[in-house]
Amino acid sequence: MLSERRHIGWHVLLLLICLCVIVPVLFMISNSFKTLQESYHSILQLIPSHPTLSNYRTLDKQINILRMVGNTFLMATLVTLGKVLTGLLAAYGFLNFHFKGKRVVYFLFVATIFVPFTTVMIPNYLVISKMNLLNNVLGVALPQMCDATGIMLFLKAMERVPKSLTESAKVDGIPDRRIFCNIIVPLLKPNIISVGAIFFINSWNEYVWPTLILKDKSSFTLPLALQNYISSEGGTNFPLAMALAVIMIVPPLLIYIVFQRYILSSISNSGLK
Amino acid sequence: METNGFSVELKDVSKSYNKKTNVINEMNLSVRPGEFLVFLGPSGCGKSTTLRMIAGLENPTGGHILINGHDSAAMTSRQRNIAMVFQDYALYPNMTVYQNLEYALRVRKVPKKTRQQRLSTILASLNLSDYKDRYPAQLSGGQKQRVALGRGMAKKSNIFLLDEPLSNIDVQLREKARDQLLQLHAENGQTIIYVTHDQQEAMALGDRIAVINDGKIQMIDTPDNLYRHPTNLFVAQFVGTPQINILPVNFSNHQLTGVDGTVISRPGKNIRANLDEDQSYLLGIRPENVHLHDEQVSGSFPVEVQTIVDYGRYKQLTCKAFGEKFIKAVVNQWPKNATGTACATLDESAMLLFDPNTNQNVLDAQSNYVLE
Repeated sequence: MLSERRHIGWHVLLLLICLCVIVPVLFMISNSFKTLQESYHSILQLIPSHPTLSNYRTLDKQINILRMVGNTFLMATLVTLGKVLTGLLAAYGFLNFHFKGKRVVYFLFVATIFVPFTTVMIPNYLVISKMNLLNNVLGVALPQMCDATGIMLFLKAMERVPKSLTESAKVDGIPDRRIFCNIIVPLLKPNIISVGAIFFINSWNEYVWPTLILKDKSSFTLPLALQNYISSEGGTNFPLAMALAVIMIVPPLLIYIVFQRYILSSISNSGLK
Repeated sequence: METNGFSVELKDVSKSYNKKTNVINEMNLSVRPGEFLVFLGPSGCGKSTTLRMIAGLENPTGGHILINGHDSAAMTSRQRNIAMVFQDYALYPNMTVYQNLEYALRVRKVPKKTRQQRLSTILASLNLSDYKDRYPAQLSGGQKQRVALGRGMAKKSNIFLLDEPLSNIDVQLREKARDQLLQLHAENGQTIIYVTHDQQEAMALGDRIAVINDGKIQMIDTPDNLYRHPTNLFVAQFVGTPQINILPVNFSNHQLTGVDGTVISRPGKNIRANLDEDQSYLLGIRPENVHLHDEQVSGSFPVEVQTIVDYGRYKQLTCKAFGEKFIKAVVNQWPKNATGTACATLDESAMLLFDPNTNQNVLDAQSNYVLE
């Protein structure tokens, strides 16, 4: 009896946590289908009385939404590819090559995780501006192409691959390039997908750094456009902002749904190890 | 036998991981082309490290390894042409059986037709044709072991290194796998170096066996010589099941006596010539050379049979002798449950005597430790 009661207690608690997460999302979706007037009258009513697509139409007229989706996608893809590729290569190097000062170099790499973004923001900005990459999605992506978290996660994953696999290939005279591409990368596929998905979603939602680099509306990413509708151009027209927010969460949500299996397994694995 | 095997020579090879203690200590070894040599020793004795150095996976900290007369440090893995089977088989999990066998050949740009011909023969010979499209995770331990062996065969290497390849499979399958290995060796004539801690496996497979302990070769010789003429106490105790009996004895007045003064043996002239009067020795006698009698015979000493274990083919008796010492005897016939007093004699021609200080065999000291 006692354990059953305790179970119910836990379930209520978990239900509350779920509500805390899901209510804002429902609020966003619901209000994106209301007119400004209706949303002011019945802001907490989940199902709109007169659902309308007017907010989405207005968005389509006012801004080049496809271009912004394209910009965000390009930026997030570049960053993800960059981080995954450099992470995998560096992790392979740290694991398989022996060189002087390896531990120190690895320590320095990992230490960068603890350097706050704000401290490197200005130096990065100056470099990007010198490279004439301001107002360019490349300028947003370039400083983020390498990430110590990725190196660390991939290194941990590679350590779990039996050493005898690489050794057997080495005895057979198979070059490192092939071992990396044909053996290690295929074996790390679940890790690559889950880490890549997390990188992609983080990058997709990024706000501060793109704000500094992207000045032109045509180069905006979605979070920047969203900010515009909350503060300036949209003014108090928040249903419009909600419509943009809905558009913004669709791609990360799709990625999560498609790759859910890998993401969950890698999280539970990292918890066990 | 025709051979396409390479010779392997170790010259003063040492290996240290911490620059202080040597895992391998100035090892010298010569493996003849086409020879089946087994490294035998307890865990951590350095046998796998030696194999890994020959494979080029570890660099010696001292000395040289010569493969077919050339310094292996200056050779590419293609020139060494070594195949290696690992204890965990190291099959690529993302490739099918066929792809596993084919991979090294594909990288070496062996023509597709040659690859197909060679692999289908190998798959057939290892009874793997029906499994060629399976992934390693879908195979049993024995099948994985055969795939690993097949991968080594596919390369047509000149040296085949095997690191405890049979330790992960069932006892029943092991014997079959041993036969396969011997057949493979007879057909291809490669040089095979095989690492194991299982002395029966070593005896069954090796042309010669190198017994390794503490990073040093204790003895290298044929299985028969290893068993009959061990160079030191370690080899005598490591080789042979049930283990050899070791008894402290004294030699005085041309007699070998036990710790309690019981006369064990009156050794002949040729043995006596190697012994010093009034010296203590360690007597080694294999259990099958201890003969038990139910009544006193010439040269016998009293023992007390304490336990009898019936292995079917033979019976193993544990007897108490010279007060507190235990000796094991292996006999074909012994009355059931017949424990109690009996008499024992030792086969003098099979007696071994070791110096208690150096642990060296004093009778055969000059004999079989061949360092070429």
